[in-house]
Amino acid sequence: MIELINLQKVYGTQVALSIGKLEIAQNDFIGLVGNNGAGKTTMLSLILDLIKPTKGLVKSKSLNVSESDEWKNYTGSFLNEGFLIPFLSPIEFFEFIGSLHGKNSADIKDFLEENEQFFKQDAFSGKYIRELSAGNKNKIGILASFLSKPEILILDEPFSNLDPSSQSWLKSKLKALSNEGVTILISSHDLKHVTEVCNRILLLEDGHIVKDTNTSNETLIELEQYFDI
Amino acid sequence: MYKLLTHQWKEKIRSSFWQKNIILNIVLGILGLYLILNFIAVSFFADKILLDVFKDCDVIESFTRLLFYYLLFDLIARFFFQQLPTISIQPYLTLPIKKSTLIHYPIIKSVFSFFNLLAILLILPFFIKNIYLTQSFQFSLLWIVTVLSLIAGNNFLNFSLKKYFSRQALISLLFLSFVGLLIYLDIAKIISISEYFSAAIFYLVNTTTFIFVPALFAVISYYWAYTILKNNAYIEDSQKLTIKKSNGFSFLNNYGEIGQLIGVELKMILRNKRPRSLLYISGLFVLYGFMFYKNENLDNYIILSLSGLLLPAMFSTNYGQFLFSWESSFFDSYLTNKISHFNYIKSKHIFFSISSSIGFLLVLPYALISSKIAFINAAFLLYNIGISSIIMMFFCTFNTSYIDLGKSQFMNYQGTGITQFLVILPIIGFPILIYYLHIILGILPFYFYTIAVTGLIGIALNKYFLELIVSRFNYRKYKMAVGFRQK
Repeated sequence: MIELINLQKVYGTQVALSIGKLEIAQNDFIGLVGNNGAGKTTMLSLILDLIKPTKGLVKSKSLNVSESDEWKNYTGSFLNEGFLIPFLSPIEFFEFIGSLHGKNSADIKDFLEENEQFFKQDAFSGKYIRELSAGNKNKIGILASFLSKPEILILDEPFSNLDPSSQSWLKSKLKALSNEGVTILISSHDLKHVTEVCNRILLLEDGHIVKDTNTSNETLIELEQYFDI
Repeated sequence: MYKLLTHQWKEKIRSSFWQKNIILNIVLGILGLYLILNFIAVSFFADKILLDVFKDCDVIESFTRLLFYYLLFDLIARFFFQQLPTISIQPYLTLPIKKSTLIHYPIIKSVFSFFNLLAILLILPFFIKNIYLTQSFQFSLLWIVTVLSLIAGNNFLNFSLKKYFSRQALISLLFLSFVGLLIYLDIAKIISISEYFSAAIFYLVNTTTFIFVPALFAVISYYWAYTILKNNAYIEDSQKLTIKKSNGFSFLNNYGEIGQLIGVELKMILRNKRPRSLLYISGLFVLYGFMFYKNENLDNYIILSLSGLLLPAMFSTNYGQFLFSWESSFFDSYLTNKISHFNYIKSKHIFFSISSSIGFLLVLPYALISSKIAFINAAFLLYNIGISSIIMMFFCTFNTSYIDLGKSQFMNYQGTGITQFLVILPIIGFPILIYYLHIILGILPFYFYTIAVTGLIGIALNKYFLELIVSRFNYRKYKMAVGFRQK
């Protein structure tokens, strides 16, 4: 589904990311872990063609993401606040993103009702996104990434700032999407969450993949040992 | 308190804006120095100017009288343009610093503002030359203390005025009309308020009994500002819940992706302080027409073409020069969502064309002065849509600085880069080049037709030009996005 080939991103003399070869198969559910500065966000940004690789390339369905816009049709993503439009109300934002995928306001209404446990829209009527809390902004970004029924889903630390109920809702939602065949790539600092939902773990350190393993019962303990100082 | 002020200073000098662009800083520095020298010169020669205008007047009396107007305009300008430093205390609220210190701090910080500097530049040279060196020490001291107290009072009063009035457009308008009425009464000599004002100042200074009154004005204004801030120094208050009108522009939904993009752009302009004030200010600039379209200018091709080029396009040029930068806070969402870059660029062009056309209509009444103006402006409207807009968009792919949409437009150079200086050259330069070509070829009467035809050719080639900009945009988008992420 996604291939990273000789991918390298260098800032000055600092190597932010260096990956020889990585293949993400269809229906993989990957958890990306690593300390701050390990290159998680850099890797996600490269896959989304937000930054230019110093060397190498990313292919999505065999097409280079920096040469073809095809991937935008089937990729949903949310990395940070820069993905939200601050002066729109949440509904307007959903309608705008929806319209890009040919959805009308009735579709959006259904969509929001479907996910009402996660995002209670009544609580936000009359507010613009810029006035919402970090957790609520996060929820909006995550939901918007689901909107297009993507085949690939890329989320950067989706569990951060979420309340406990929303975290557990999101976990079951992601599992359900994975069962439907969606390829998912998330990063997280919460080892418990990723080992619980993901079926493959990538461990990054100083821009290199130091561990690539399928999740098993021991994975959590191994990871905890790795990160223990 | 001192530490807090140094933090503020650091915030200013460490702002990424300064580090980014040295040439721009030098240009701005020279411009600033030039303005400062101008103000000082005006103040220094104010006695000559006053004698010239009013003939045989008492210079000090006239100057004091003019101060009345100055104070009024100062108050209005502050009300509309001065940004009050209130939000910046948030990071300190939970630190072990006395709350009263934190509240005094933004008020004191407001003393270091452009308006106060302006007042000092305009008053001090005059004061030294004409009062301090000619009048008694007591008179000079009391005069300057009185005047500075009034300025300081204005400064502090602004906190309260903004708090109570700035959210209601109607009250702001009433306030403006009231000031307008005062000025009218004075100029029409119905009630000579400025004379009473200067008489009052001289009375205060000469009798010294009530000399504390202006100082009291400053102190009371300060205290009022203090109470207001004290009652608002909680984070929750800064996130006011206001009921939003839904100006959905839903009709735009019928125009597909381009309509959606224009809808978001319109909302961006109307819901954010900086582009909104730009819109209002550009509206005011239409009044410049009264300066350009004088009888003696109606045969001056250069003036007619400059006003035809710039006047109707005041908003589209001012707004357009920061294209893409306006979207810096959500540029990534445009890059990752399913938006065709051609449609994105095209939506910008359509937006530019519509706002230029609206500008054309706004300027149209000047055609009452001479019907020529309508024809010339129509020619330049075609030119703006066909050529200027393309030049603008091309240069704007060089924009890499972040713009905070919530900041005031006034004296705000955020987002200004070398682009803004470069883009104006071809936009003004080409029509002037065409003008001189016509002079050389001796076919000047055809000048405006050539402009119109050039515009039409541009419009005919529009799709080709847009594709050129799209490929340029695709090439530049990473650099732009990296810059936009740096707040």
